Amino acid sequence: MADVDAAKSLSGLLNGIAQKVYYNNSDITEELLKTELYPELPQEEFRALHEKMKGLLKSIATADMDHAQLEAFLTAQTKKQGGGGVSAEQAAALSRFWKSQRIRVRESLLAQSRWEPSLRGLSWRVDLQTATSRGDAAHSGPVALMELELGKVGQDSEFVCLEFDEANINQVLKKMAEIQESIDRIVHRT
Amino acid sequence: HCFLSCKVAEGTRKLDVAKLSTLLRQLKADRQRRCQQQSHVCQHILTYLQGQTRGVDSAEISDRFQSAGVRLDHDALQDIIRFLLLTFRSGGKSNISGDELVSKLEEGSNKWSKASLQVLHKLWSEHGALVHTQQDVQAMLSIGQLVDMQWKLGMAVSSDSCRSLNSPYVTLLLKIVEPSGQICQRSFEMTVPQFQNFHKQFKEIAAVMETV
Repeated sequence: MADVDAAKSLSGLLNGIAQKVYYNNSDITEELLKTELYPELPQEEFRALHEKMKGLLKSIATADMDHAQLEAFLTAQTKKQGGGGVSAEQAAALSRFWKSQRIRVRESLLAQSRWEPSLRGLSWRVDLQTATSRGDAAHSGPVALMELELGKVGQDSEFVCLEFDEANINQVLKKMAEIQESIDRIVHRT
Repeated sequence: HCFLSCKVAEGTRKLDVAKLSTLLRQLKADRQRRCQQQSHVCQHILTYLQGQTRGVDSAEISDRFQSAGVRLDHDALQDIIRFLLLTFRSGGKSNISGDELVSKLEEGSNKWSKASLQVLHKLWSEHGALVHTQQDVQAMLSIGQLVDMQWKLGMAVSSDSCRSLNSPYVTLLLKIVEPSGQICQRSFEMTVPQFQNFHKQFKEIAAVMETV
């Protein structure tokens, strides 16, 4: 019974740390975690536990450890003498946590190191121009209207509206085919 | 150098011409060089209004000034361009002569230098008629159009928060001509899956356009 509870609390702690450090959840604080998960534990001990788990998580995330690296890392940690090591239960909790959260944490780290605006959304429609006040037929034909939603991390979106005729679209498609070619060449090598 | 910013009120077309001509004066102390530069900006704008280029690229103008050793405040340059576009456009609509253009400008402010007015007179006398005929032919844009697209494929290797990112990404730089005729730039990043989705959307648009 006590073991299950201990494991639950530890999982809760790791999830809480991830929420705060990686998932931008500002509602989660150290005090909240203590109150919810370790109410009985003395303040100093909780702080030490919290710092240790945070440090270990950071090491694992920074290195983006795969299964083998994680096992080696945790084994080394359990063998550490004195207060610096981890118990077998803690190692197990860390292992379970990383297996389920690795991808999500990694995406968060990627987003954190992206400082240019990113494409948040795209909407488009195609119109058929039937008449203009100038009466010239030169611009008749289908017109694509596009709205790009761009934004930097933590900032509001900016909307860019563009119109394209068929020739424009084909020019863009040509460039995109070049990009895809580059991607195919380079990404498959890694 | 003291670069002043000018405010242009659209609609009434009144602006602080005094500030503008002071700014032009500060482009370069050397009068001849100043006229050359003013002439360059005007020609760039007139070339667009005559339908020979797709827009007025302030970045290009600014680069050229930079390589000539002139530091120009970007906002101030945008303001100059906006003012000249308005002036030349309305001049083209009313099909005014070089003399009329100069009188109009002098009416707006007495701070214009003789040299500046001479440059404007000369250029307008040469190009004004063509601007006028082009106004009828050129359809006004309602929203922006893509003029150029540059791309870059990069690989995020490592960062302070993650030592092994190993993440490829695509950066696009779009040059967009706005309804006013001014060209602006927008850049943004995409992950490879995002780019592939973006590509797919364009293919869909092309397919729809073919059937319409």
